Amino acid sequence: MNHLTQEELILRYYGEFDAGAHLGECAECRDELARLARVLDQVNAIKVPEPEAEYEAQVWNRLSWRLRGEKRKSRNVTKWLAAAAMIAIAFLTGLLVSRKDDVRPQLAETATNPRPAATPANAAAAASTETTASNRNPGAGTQQQRDRILLVVVGDHFDESERMLVELTNLTPDGETDIATEQKRAEELLASNRLYRRTATDRGEENVATLLDELEPVLMQIAHAPSQVSANELRRMQKRVEAKGLVFKLRVVRAGVRSEANLPQTPTI
Amino acid sequence: MEPTDIELVELVRGGDDDSFRILVERHSRALYRSAYRVTGNAADADDVVQEAFLRSYRALASFDSRATFTTWLHRIAINCALDLLDSRKRRDGRISDGEDLSLLPSQTATPDRVVLGSEMQRAIAAAMAELTGNERTAFVLRHFEGMPLEEIGQILGTKLNATKNTVFRAVRKLRQQLQPFTGSVV
Repeated sequence: MNHLTQEELILRYYGEFDAGAHLGECAECRDELARLARVLDQVNAIKVPEPEAEYEAQVWNRLSWRLRGEKRKSRNVTKWLAAAAMIAIAFLTGLLVSRKDDVRPQLAETATNPRPAATPANAAAAASTETTASNRNPGAGTQQQRDRILLVVVGDHFDESERMLVELTNLTPDGETDIATEQKRAEELLASNRLYRRTATDRGEENVATLLDELEPVLMQIAHAPSQVSANELRRMQKRVEAKGLVFKLRVVRAGVRSEANLPQTPTI
Repeated sequence: MEPTDIELVELVRGGDDDSFRILVERHSRALYRSAYRVTGNAADADDVVQEAFLRSYRALASFDSRATFTTWLHRIAINCALDLLDSRKRRDGRISDGEDLSLLPSQTATPDRVVLGSEMQRAIAAAMAELTGNERTAFVLRHFEGMPLEEIGQILGTKLNATKNTVFRAVRKLRQQLQPFTGSVV
């Protein structure tokens, strides 16, 4: 008698192969099927953690924001172009201002320590090591300036986000709470957060990009909540901020960003 | 009477986003379960659900109303999950990096100690993690979702025989991994 193959037994287990007649006569195949069933039945024991009761609403809340974003994006291409142009102008202005700042100390030093020939190369040699390096490689200097501008704006963004989150976590969950102010700020922060995250990722600022990535869903949740939230909803938001340790992380990364950009540290809230 | 999925799809196509909300609320939990079984990770499953609905919204114009919306949506979700597993595999060199640490087998687990419960859970999760993305998907859809092989083939983009072989390979690997815990012989 030909026994059932492993493949046939598997199909039989899933009800896609009729082997009733053979199994009725063959004890060996019946045993083999039972062994297979024992393993596959065990696999059913794997548990899927059940999402919370409001899961469906949460999915929609996050999704509707993205869908609105998609629609806005397609409708407002011109607005984005205008925004891009403004950013470019801001970069250029920043570069010009920084360049002026760099030139002044060089000129001052050249005046007090006159060199045989006041060429840009000699002036650079007289200036600090950092300035020398950037003058030797103007491309690197420009890149540094760009990075510094990014760090400055991101530092401010972290600052603003931290303030908003601290205010939110300090609210007392008691009946209906009005969070319209925090919500408006979260909405504004969310728009810039995306832009900074992309830029930071492109520039290889991993710490900054990771934190912006973590910040985004929290900002999204706050921005999309109703302006009047119940005590439970507020507690949930506060827990999410606390569980991620966001305020602390914002402080740490902001301090790093400010020191990298050579800015004075702002006091923590 | 509640509108059917197809009726809702037509409404969404006409610009009614509220109908899409009903579809999302109707299917998100089931989609989450499938995504969890494929990715083995709650956070990834959540991302897959989001991405699947987003992609389905974008592709709604191309949805053929003669097909089942659930199958179509599942296909998108499974593709999202596979993309995620692929990108992780490319990044880390192995799929199981995305697993919850709690699901990994403990080093001290021996067959005689493993009866049921959390150790068994870990053993199953570890065995599932050994499957390739396609094997895992085919197995999840056949075993947990009860999907016919033809439909699984449509999702994976494979012919019936290839789909069968993928399921067979998955089952063989699982038997090999779990054999010590159930006492069955391969």
